[in-house]
Parts: sequence; structure tokens; C-alpha cells
Amino acid sequence: MGFFLETVIGGLMSGMLYSLVALGFVLIFKASGVFNFAQGAMVLFAALAMARFSEWLPALLGIDNKVLGNLLAFAGAMVLMVVVAWLIERLVLSKLVNQEGITLLMATLGIAYFLDGFGQTLFGSAIYKIDVGLPKDPMFLLQNVFEGGVLVNKEDLYAAGIAATLVVVLSLFFQYTSTGRALRAVADDHQAAQSIGIPLNRIWVIVWSVAGFVALVAGIIWGSKLGVQFSLSLVALKALPVVILGGLTSVPGAIIGGLIIGVGEKVSEVYLGPTLGGGIEIWFGYVLVLFVLLVRPQGLFGEKIIDRV
Amino acid sequence: MAERKIGEVILDVHNISLRFGGVKALSDISFDVREHELRAIIGPNGAGKSSMLNCINGVYTPQEGSITFRGQKFSHMNSRQVAEMGVARTFQNLALFKGMSVLDNIMSGRNLKMKTNIFQQAIRFGAAEREESEHREAVEKIIDFLQIQAFRKTPVGRLPYGLQKRVDLGRALAMEPQVLLLDEPMAGMNVEEKQDMSRFILDVKDEYGTTIVLIEHDMGVVMDISDRVVVLDYGRKIGDGTPDEVRANADVVSAYLGTSQ
Repeated sequence: MGFFLETVIGGLMSGMLYSLVALGFVLIFKASGVFNFAQGAMVLFAALAMARFSEWLPALLGIDNKVLGNLLAFAGAMVLMVVVAWLIERLVLSKLVNQEGITLLMATLGIAYFLDGFGQTLFGSAIYKIDVGLPKDPMFLLQNVFEGGVLVNKEDLYAAGIAATLVVVLSLFFQYTSTGRALRAVADDHQAAQSIGIPLNRIWVIVWSVAGFVALVAGIIWGSKLGVQFSLSLVALKALPVVILGGLTSVPGAIIGGLIIGVGEKVSEVYLGPTLGGGIEIWFGYVLVLFVLLVRPQGLFGEKIIDRV
Repeated sequence: MAERKIGEVILDVHNISLRFGGVKALSDISFDVREHELRAIIGPNGAGKSSMLNCINGVYTPQEGSITFRGQKFSHMNSRQVAEMGVARTFQNLALFKGMSVLDNIMSGRNLKMKTNIFQQAIRFGAAEREESEHREAVEKIIDFLQIQAFRKTPVGRLPYGLQKRVDLGRALAMEPQVLLLDEPMAGMNVEEKQDMSRFILDVKDEYGTTIVLIEHDMGVVMDISDRVVVLDYGRKIGDGTPDEVRANADVVSAYLGTSQ
């Protein structure tokens, strides 16, 4: 029983990390109706910036304090992500107002390749580390209930806490502020949004900046776990089934989708792995999504699409 | 309620020509709209009515001519800038925010009137909170006015067509515009719905004093409610005047009914 709990908790933690990446997808989709293929590249780009800035900025300014250095690097990376958002709006999106979703989708593919390449040109392509002081030591819970207790990774616990906070804040923002409403309006209809005076360009910069912020947080957490390298942009592939499962338009859906997939893949790996031959973790999310799509094409929490005929 | 006097010219369209490649959508159209007036633009299919409206709304930029709004001439404006000047519109093919509730759709019309910034809204405290409830009050009035109280929280995509048209009107009204452009507000409606909509349009004119430019297909409705009518055919203006004058115009009759040999 203790082992099962441990597996489930481990799954919840890694699920939370998937959700963090998935959140970036959902934000941009909710606010511009575009499936952003560049989300993974943005995570990599942000993580690279964070890793390098935390070396460069303290050296440049002669700061010896690690916390301060990390804060500076975080601020620097965030500014960079806002600049990226602004450039994307200026150079790509503003040319594509009122175009089909597929056009915008292709554009994000282009952005993804560009950011992948440009990030490594700018910051180098070696493996870097991010050390923001997340504790690495495991801890044991419920030691008096189970023999040996339940092992929980502290780093994962912190990461899950950060992800949960982000989600709550963002979903409140979308639902209850007038900017949030404007974002949703733009997603539904560009032309109508413009006709009531919503400034499309400013909204897009805001959305991509927020998505950049989420990418930065995801990049830092994943980066400090795995190291910052090209393969970081592939965490997007892990997040893909999460968004589809949760529904592309639902912020809470991204979280619950992440948790379901996180727990599902860990539990099935541990308990079905010996019978099925292992490696279940790799395909579990996709197969689950396939079945969910058959029943609920809009995902678990997505907005139901109603077409009046 | 007091009938508002028709006033000075508020919108002046001067020698507008609009081409899409080799296709002439509008050639040399001029007309004016007076304050508190209900001005209709009519014409058969493909006459250029919607193109005309889209020029005024800043969606299209005409190659020739000028549009003057309250003495301010504008060219190369986009829809948002036009919205800032106080012009609202509704759409022929509904362009509502389908996933959002009726309330949110109409609230989104208040966007230009909201002054707090994104960070104040994010903490939703003090000014942002006050502002939100102020606007909510204005929106509730519009909801009452359009008699859609029962559907406040319903996602717009789920409402029947006639009600969606009302929400579209509500969103435009929420902007408290000086000029309201209505693109075929009664298209696809049955007689009863058309009567309801006509009543709403007249009430808007009387209660809010809004100047209205209306595009319509249905001659009967137009003649009943408008003050003056412009008639377009194949991108040209073929008639302009009071409903009675237009009805007596031989060109207009032949455009609508064909010429008798």
C-alpha cells in the first residue's frame, strides 16, 4: 500500500510538471485560437536565457549573492520573453489578422524552428544547469502508518506548489477581469473584437508575454531537474496529450489532464510494465487521449462546440 | 418619451470608390447622415451595401473619396480606431463570441470604457473592482432593454438565432456609440421577430439618441422605420431621399422589380 501511494504521488508530481508546459498551450489557444507549436521552443529558449543570465549577469555586475543573481537572471529572462512576444506580434501575427487558424498554426511552426536555432546561437548549445536552490533531498511521510514511510521528492513538491499557484491565478485572471474577457473575445472573432475597440496587437503581446512567463517557469523547473539542453524543447511532446485530454480551452483542464496522465503512466508502468514489457510511460498519454477523443472530442473540460445548422 | 430632433450632419460620405482588383464594388458614392437620424441603405443582392458599411467601419479602405465623422476626416483607419471615435456596428453574419456568456459578450462592448490596467485587474481590488461593477450596471440596463434577462449566463452559441441578433445589438449598444451601424439586423428572421427588432431599433433611437445607419433587404421594414433612404445598385447610388420619394423613383422600382418592356 505504501508503495502504491508512493507511485501515485510520484505520478501527481510529474503530472503537475506536464501541466505547467500544457498551460502555455492553453493560454495562447484561449486567447488567439492558435495552437502554438512554438511552446516547447519557448520553454527551451527561456531556460537557456535563465541558465546563461545567471552566469553572465552576476559576473558582469560583480554580485556574489546567489539568490540575488538568480532573481536578476529571472528578471532578465522575463524581459527577454516580453521582447520575444513583442517581436512575434510585430513581425508575424500582425500580418496575419483575420486569417484562418491553419495559417497561424503554420506560422507558429516557423517560430518554433527559429527560436530553437536562435536560442542556441545566442546562448550556446552545451548542456547548462540552472540552480535556483530547489532542495534535492527526498523526505519520508507517514512513517508511522507504513513501514518505511512514503518517499516524496521535495523538489517535485515545490514545483507542484508553484504550478498550482500559477494555475489558480491565471484561471481567475481569465474569468474575472476585463482584460481576460478581451483575450477570450479575440480568440472567438478577430473582426468583432476590433469593432468593439479591442486592440488586437496589445492583446497578443500580453498573451505571448504571459505564455513566455509560463514557459520560463516551466523551463526553470524542468531545467533544474534535467539540465538545460536541446531535448528540453521535447517536453512539449509530453504536454501535448495533456492539453488535448484536458481540453484546449480550459486552464483547470490542463492541470487535471496533467494529473491524470502523470498518475496513469506511473501506475501502469509499475503495475502493467512487467506484463506488457515496459516503456508504457512513453505511449500511455497518447493512447489515453485517443480513447477520450472518441467519446469527448472537445476534451474533458473544453468548451463544447455547438453548430446550429 | 420625447422624440429627438434630427440635427446637423454627423457623418459625411464623399465620392467613395472601392475596387477589389478589377471588380468595382462601389463607384462614386456620396451621402450624409444627420444626428439622431435613422438612415437606411438598401439595394438588391450585391449592390455594395455591406461594402459601404465596411468602409465606414474601417474594415475596407476605399481607393477614392473621404469619410468625415463629426468634422474629422478619416482615411486609412482600422476598425479599432473607428470604434474609439464612437462608431459601433453589428454584423450580417453573426460575429459574437460564441463560447462566452451573454453577459460577457455585452460586457466586452465596454472594453474601451475601462480605464484600469492589467495589473490592477489582476489583483482586482479598489479601482478595478469599482469599475467592473459600474460597467456591470450599465450592461444590466441593456439586458433589460433587450429583454434577454433570462439568458444572462447562457453561452451565446446556444441561443436561437433571433436572440443572438439581439445580443449582437446589445454588445454594440454597450459601447454607447454616437453612430450605430446595423448590417442586416433582420436577415433570416420571421415576421414576428422582424417586428420585435424594428421596435428595438426605434427604441434605441429614441431612448439613447443614437444615430443609426441601417442596411436592410426587406423594403417594407425599411420604409416603415427610416427617416431617409439611400438606394444602391451595382455599386452606384440610384436613389436618395425620404421613403416616399424613394418609392416613387423609377430607377429604384426597376432595380427591384425589373423594367417592364
